[in-house]
This record gives sequence, structure tokens and C-alpha cells, in this order.
Amino acid sequence: MPTDGIPIDVLIGAWVATGLTLFIYTFLYRDNPLFKLGEHLYVGISVGYSIVITIYAVGVKLLWVPMTEEGQWQLLIPSLLGLMISARFFPRIAWLSRISFAFVVGFGSGTIIPRLISSNVLSQLEDTIRPLATMTASGLTYTINFLDPKSDINNLITLIGVLSVLFYFFFSVEHRGAGQAVARTGIVFLMIAFGAAFGYTVMSRMSLLIGRFDDLIIFSGAEYGRPTFVLLVLTIGVLVYWAYREKQTPQTTAEEKS
Amino acid sequence: MNLSNHSIVTRMLAIDRRFIFMLIALATLIPLLNPINLPIMISPEVRAVYDHMESLPEGSVFLLSMDFDPASKPEVYPQAIALLRHAFKKNLKVIGLTLLVTGTGMAEEAMATVAEELEKINGTDYAFLGWRPGASAVILSMGQDLVGTFPQDHYGIPIDELSVMHNVKTLRDVDYAVSLAAGFPGVDEWYIYGKDKYRFELGGGSTAVMAPGLYPRLRAGQINGLIGGLRGAAEYEKLLDQSGKATAGMDSQSATHFVIIVLVIICNVFYVISRRQKRT
Repeated sequence: MPTDGIPIDVLIGAWVATGLTLFIYTFLYRDNPLFKLGEHLYVGISVGYSIVITIYAVGVKLLWVPMTEEGQWQLLIPSLLGLMISARFFPRIAWLSRISFAFVVGFGSGTIIPRLISSNVLSQLEDTIRPLATMTASGLTYTINFLDPKSDINNLITLIGVLSVLFYFFFSVEHRGAGQAVARTGIVFLMIAFGAAFGYTVMSRMSLLIGRFDDLIIFSGAEYGRPTFVLLVLTIGVLVYWAYREKQTPQTTAEEKS
Repeated sequence: MNLSNHSIVTRMLAIDRRFIFMLIALATLIPLLNPINLPIMISPEVRAVYDHMESLPEGSVFLLSMDFDPASKPEVYPQAIALLRHAFKKNLKVIGLTLLVTGTGMAEEAMATVAEELEKINGTDYAFLGWRPGASAVILSMGQDLVGTFPQDHYGIPIDELSVMHNVKTLRDVDYAVSLAAGFPGVDEWYIYGKDKYRFELGGGSTAVMAPGLYPRLRAGQINGLIGGLRGAAEYEKLLDQSGKATAGMDSQSATHFVIIVLVIICNVFYVISRRQKRT
């Protein structure tokens, strides 16, 4: 086994991470029990971790300790509101949950609506309607710099994009003649936006792949006991055996039937 | 000849997708094992974050909200490391926290690792506040009373006892905040419930998937800069002149993108040929 002063928890972590990474990537071959094992562990551990942290951070640190050690018994009110949501599981007292939901909806709406109008509507609207030319001491100027988001030409493109896309989604008027041209322009802007989003998504997914491969390369070192190579061989072995068993199983069944 | 062409086109369009997976795996793996160090260009949005950090005087309060979890680690974690290195090198007062419960351990690890590397002391040079439930409500609450929202840090030490937190009572006392996001809550929430209401300078970092959606906020000046994905992290590492995980991954990123572009072109060529053959 490896030594080199690597703590045992790091070592176990390296083997588990390597194994689960390889198990998940076996899905690229096809769905199989190793992938399912990795998938179920991921879901289970994520939920378990979240529950434990939440119970400790909320239940213990934010409720129990302040109430019992600092006498903040007013915290019983939010605790009670939270517990009342669970009343939905009991039909006879399910109506109690409505009080909590009313509080959540009321608080949420009151908080969110003004903030969203200010941030997402007014500020963005202000940015969309910018001067299409700049007045300077020397007179009216028009900047054509596609790399500068705030140049006059880009202000014009933004305005055309916003108006044409809005018109495309305006279905009360038939898109004919000049309307059709505007709607088509809107489609072009939408396609460019979708293309940019897809390009970034590809970049994101490749980054995740690079991250996993980077870890696999690190864990292929002798100081970790070469888990990448050991578990890769084991994973391939299990997959080959599983594929062989899969091929055999339907034949046996057919023979038994005949 | 025509039949043979038809056969090649049909076979290429029905190629086993596992062949493509293999190509992508090789394009990723080979540059990681044999880096060729392709040049990295700095984008204005990443430089804006760097320049703002540079402009902060020593002792300014820098808040880093690490709103991501292990699923986004390869993209966003290098951003956190680069920003923390920059902040500690500039001797800023660093406050770290997370709004995602599953990111708590990783955020704490990032703070502790960089602090140890640059010999910074918890409580004196930096504080890690940990996680609080409530997402957007936490930001609103911090805007009114930061100490009340986080009475203790992640390690259970009362905030009042941390010298780094002296004179930091609300978000208005923060000189620069950066949210590194992988979804909700993230940069949007920090702007909507934080900067827009309490008026402090805000920068953003995110996964590449989220980046296009944040450009309208950048253009409108709602955030002053944006570090997008692994690429953004690599740019920041270059500005810091300290290579890390992100820089190491850039060759692979370029190679995989090249392979995907070639595959898209090939697929379209074969698709057009097959359509023409069907017509004739």
C-alpha cells in the first residue's frame, strides 16, 4: 500500500473518487449496474449530507442553542410555522399548512416584486434605450467599435435585437410584409443567442470532463497506490463480465422456454 | 461510385457515438499529459474584476460568496482560489461564505488552503462565516445586520470576537463583493437583493453555462466584471502570474473545442450530401 505521508482519509477519498468517476463514465458504454451504483450513491450522499448539515446549522445552531442557552424563545414562532408545513401529511390538520404558506407567499411577494422590477425591468430597460449617437464638444459623433459593448453601433444592434425579438413574440398581428421581415430579424437574434448559449454549455461540460480527468491523472500516482489503473482494470473486467452475462441470459431463457 | 458514396454517407451519419466519446476523451487527455501552453488572451470582463481588486487599498473589505457545490468544482473552484490569492496578496480583509449548503465544505477548504499558503490567520486576516439557510433572504438580512445574520463564524466563534469583522456591520461596509455562482442563489440574487438595495460594488464569477445570461448585467453595469467558467479562471491566473488548475486545462479545452467544431462541420457536410442524394 502507498505511504509517502498521505493521510488515510485523503487516500480513501482518492480511491472512492476514482472509483465513482469511472463508474459514472461507464454509462458512455451503456447503462449498467456500476453506473447505477454510482448514481444512487451520488443522490443518497447528496441528500444525506444536506439533511445533516441543515439539521445542525438550522436545528441546533439557529434554534436549539439560542433558545436554551440565550433564552430566545421567540424563535418558537418560526419553528412552529415551519412545523405547520408538515401538517400537509395529515389530512385532518392539513389546513394548518395554509397559514405557513400564506406567510411564505406574502413575505416572498413583498420582497421579490419590488426588487425584480427595479433590477430586471427598470435597470435593463434603461440600458436598452441608450443614445444612438454621442454629442461631444466637437459635434455629433458615431462610434463604430463592435468590441466595445457600449459603442453607438452596439447600442443600435441591441435596440434592433430587443424590438425585433419582442415583435416576434407578439402574436396578435400576423407576421406579413414588413412585419415578417422584423419577425425574421428577431429569429436571427434568437438563433445567435441560442448558439452562444450552446457554445458556452459545451465549454462548461468540457471543463467538467477536464476536471475529472485531472483528478484521475493525479490519482494515478504511486503515492496514492495507483487507484486509477487498478480501478480502471477492475471496472473494465466487471463490464466485460456483465456484458457476457447479459448475452447469455436471453439465450438461456429461450432454451428453457423451448 | 454513387452507390459507394451513398454507403459512406449513410455509415458516417449512423456512426457509433462511442467513437465520438473516444475522440473527445483523447482530445482531453493528451493535452493534459503533454501540455503545449497555448496563449491565453485576457477578456475585458475578467480584467475588470482584476483591476478593481488592484484598485482596493490595503485593509479594504472583500466579500467572497462561494455559491457553488462539488458538481461545479472544476469550473468555479479555480476562480475562488485565484480571487483568494489576489485578495490575500493585497492584504485585504477577506470574508468568505456560501449560500449553498452542499458547498460548505469546499468553500471552507478553499479559504483554509489559500490562507495557509499565504500565511494568513483566521479571525485576523480573514473570516469564514459558513452557510445560512434562506438564500436571497440571507443577502437581504446581511444588508441590514451582518452580525445578526451570522452571529458566529463557521467554527462557532462569535463574530464580535473576530478582529477582521470589526467595522463590518452590514453589506454597506463591504468594499467589493464577488459571487461565484453555479445556479440559484448566485450573481443574480447578489445583485437583486444586495447591490441594488445596499449599494456596494459587485463582481461575478460563474460556470460557463450561466455566463451568457449574465452579460446583460455586465453591459448594464449591474456587475463590474465577470469571470466565466474555467476559461475565465485561466485568464485570472494569467493576470496574477500564478498558473493553477485552470491554466493547465486550457490546452485540453482548446483541443476538445477543435474536435467538436470539426465534427459539427463533418456531420453537416454528410447531412447535406445525404439530402441531395435523397432528392436525386
